Amino acid sequence: MAELLVKNAFVIDPLSGIRGEIMDIAIRDGKIVEDAGANAEVIDAQGCLTLPGGIDSHTHVCGTKVNFGRYMSPEDMRAGRTQRKGVMHVTSGYSVPTTFGNSYRYSTMGYTTLLEGAMAPLEARHTHEEFTATPHQDMLANTLFDGNWSIMEAVRDKDLKRAAAVVAWTLAAVKGFAIKLTNPGGTEAWGFGEDVHSIHDLVPHFGVTPAEIIETMIRANEILNLPHSVHLHCNNLGVPGNFRTTLETIDRVPDLNSRRQTLYLTHVQFHAYGGSTWKDISSKSEDIARAVNSRPQVAIDMGQVMFGRTTTMTADGPMEFKLYMLHHNKWSNHDVELETGSGIIPVFYSRKSLVNCVMWAIGLELALLTRDPWQCMLSTDNPNGAPFVKYPEIIALLMSRRFRDRESELLDPRTGHYVPLFAIERELDWYEIAVMTRAAQAKALGITGIGKGHLAPGAQADIAIYPLKPGELDPAAEYKQVMAGFGKTRFTIKRGRVVARDGEVVVEGANSTIWTKANIPPELDLSADREFVKKFEQYYTVRMSNYPVQDVYLPRGVCIGTEVSL
Amino acid sequence: MRVILETKPRRKPKIPIEAEAITPQNFLIKNDIRVYEGNKERKLDEIFYVTTEGPAVSADQVEIVLSGETGVIKRVGEYMNAGRIVIEGDIGMHCGNFMSAGEIIIRGNADAWLGREMRGGVIRCEGNADHYCGAGYRGEKRGMRGGTIEVMGNAGDYTAEYLSGGEVRIMGDCGDLPGVEMRAGTLIIGGDCYRPCGNMTGGTCMVFGTAGAMLPTFISTGAEVREFCSKRMEMNVFRGDVANRGKGTLLVRKQ
Repeated sequence: MAELLVKNAFVIDPLSGIRGEIMDIAIRDGKIVEDAGANAEVIDAQGCLTLPGGIDSHTHVCGTKVNFGRYMSPEDMRAGRTQRKGVMHVTSGYSVPTTFGNSYRYSTMGYTTLLEGAMAPLEARHTHEEFTATPHQDMLANTLFDGNWSIMEAVRDKDLKRAAAVVAWTLAAVKGFAIKLTNPGGTEAWGFGEDVHSIHDLVPHFGVTPAEIIETMIRANEILNLPHSVHLHCNNLGVPGNFRTTLETIDRVPDLNSRRQTLYLTHVQFHAYGGSTWKDISSKSEDIARAVNSRPQVAIDMGQVMFGRTTTMTADGPMEFKLYMLHHNKWSNHDVELETGSGIIPVFYSRKSLVNCVMWAIGLELALLTRDPWQCMLSTDNPNGAPFVKYPEIIALLMSRRFRDRESELLDPRTGHYVPLFAIERELDWYEIAVMTRAAQAKALGITGIGKGHLAPGAQADIAIYPLKPGELDPAAEYKQVMAGFGKTRFTIKRGRVVARDGEVVVEGANSTIWTKANIPPELDLSADREFVKKFEQYYTVRMSNYPVQDVYLPRGVCIGTEVSL
Repeated sequence: MRVILETKPRRKPKIPIEAEAITPQNFLIKNDIRVYEGNKERKLDEIFYVTTEGPAVSADQVEIVLSGETGVIKRVGEYMNAGRIVIEGDIGMHCGNFMSAGEIIIRGNADAWLGREMRGGVIRCEGNADHYCGAGYRGEKRGMRGGTIEVMGNAGDYTAEYLSGGEVRIMGDCGDLPGVEMRAGTLIIGGDCYRPCGNMTGGTCMVFGTAGAMLPTFISTGAEVREFCSKRMEMNVFRGDVANRGKGTLLVRKQ
């Protein structure tokens, strides 16, 4: 009966409607309860900002492509080295750190739940192994379906049930959490040396369009009642003028779910470019934000770019090849059999580059122009836009116009002509930041039901206490303190235990992996479908019986079961 | 100020010493300089007989002299920004990493990674240098960016890999792949080498000996006369590496 009492906490808990009250939080056996006994251990928060544990709804921290980023960048491992200390393992790396490095740094920033943005189903075992080595965060894995041959055949045949069956079987087999579409159709086309340039282009050899894939997957997702919506990385990432593709995609989203969004668009900053070449690239964040504001069925995350060195990694192979043609640095492209592909390239975002300055501004504009913070989440698409350790700086930029103005003086002087950022006066408040970094994520991922993202009795006791006193601190003026405060919690509590204190990790940690299983009727179970089995054995390099991830890879798996509505 | 460091006899003389703290600027400001012997931290006077002569008001006036069994001492002069280091014998790996100014003189041979990612200053090695002399760290896009490395003897493989500024001058032979991935700067090889300048995108490399196994991705663009050690030599000029934009220049002595 481990009991803990957090006293005098300045709590903001958007999901429970608490907008900043001094209160006590009682914890028993990893859950939040009404009140604690007399023997409970007491933590005095001294009026500091106390939020539910942070949730990152799109990050790349585990899996084969992250690991490939690690071993193609030995120079990255020179940065961020820390020695073994107490329970902490040795860590190294800046943009692609070791798994423990990721885990400790997220933990000291108060993050307790992470969603790995893209897991290739065939390579799920490795991802799950790295999940267990990320001990301070509960992990979820978005599973890639963008170039899945069975899905595209189902789309071509307009067989929605079949698409749902493929998703259900694959998610259960690889212990994935939700559907991720990365440049739908484009990555598969890249396997044949081609790409798609709009959502109406035909994917070669399959005769389907990205628009059809997206629509079918959205509907299949709702048939299966999965907790999260379809998680989409739109087509044409990073192409000047791509905002039209993004707007067209947003326009086609039906409103099918009252509890959460129907489509989650990730790293929208990379999809909000106007102009026609790199020379006249401009910000179209206003158009995108207007579209998002008028459609509650859509949620986005920023994909903010911050200046400095990082590594880009995505399942979008053709885009990474285009990046290589710009940088002529080392690069990697990878094809995952019948499923997807990937690419990795180290990059440097420079204040001297007008394009990079415009990218930097667009991310912030999206967050500031989206009226409802529940619809726009904070992310850098770690590590594509910047490593996640830059989150505190982004929070400070969003909260302080003065900081943005000061930053603008360092940028390429032409930036102001191409972006509306410096005319925006909005400064986000503590509540909105709390929404954008945990509550909106919990709602969008549909994990409030298992006690994530809020502090009501019954919720999981994941709590972050930051050394910030909202009453005494003016974030618009003292942005440096805000940055420092969000960078290092006083206490990070995970499942009722203090895991990090003042930037020091104090326990070994043991996380759980959350996955979904749709309880499909037997006629839709593909493991008994003769045609599916035959194709699987014919085209994959692995046998179907070897494909599913065994339970041993998830020492503490948490399964969310869903009932199918047909 | 002149600091003389002479190695003390050690029970296990082969255990390497990590001595990134031995730089002129450190001797100017710090009294307590530590080095590592294997995984053990040691005070400087546990490893060396330390003699200090004279005063100094800036790091430029500091001269460090290393003598004795210096071949196992690594990372001497890392991030050095002024002054002078003289090594009376051989020196271990990573001597002069990232140095930005000052001078290092090595009377014996240098181990691998001499002057890795150097930014400026001068390194003069009177013996041979091992592999990766003047190279970049593995995976780094740019290697040495400025300054001069002069090796009077031979150098090993991958000399001046990723060179992007400054000058590397090897009076003797080089091993395999000198100047590979070179981007800018000058590489001069007095003797022979194999497969020079693979994938170079800029800069100039001159080979005054024989270049073995020349890569086929270099286009001959004529001949020139160059002077080396006050001898005039007829050189073939090549442009390359055409597999990667081909903006570099490679000159090889006519046989």
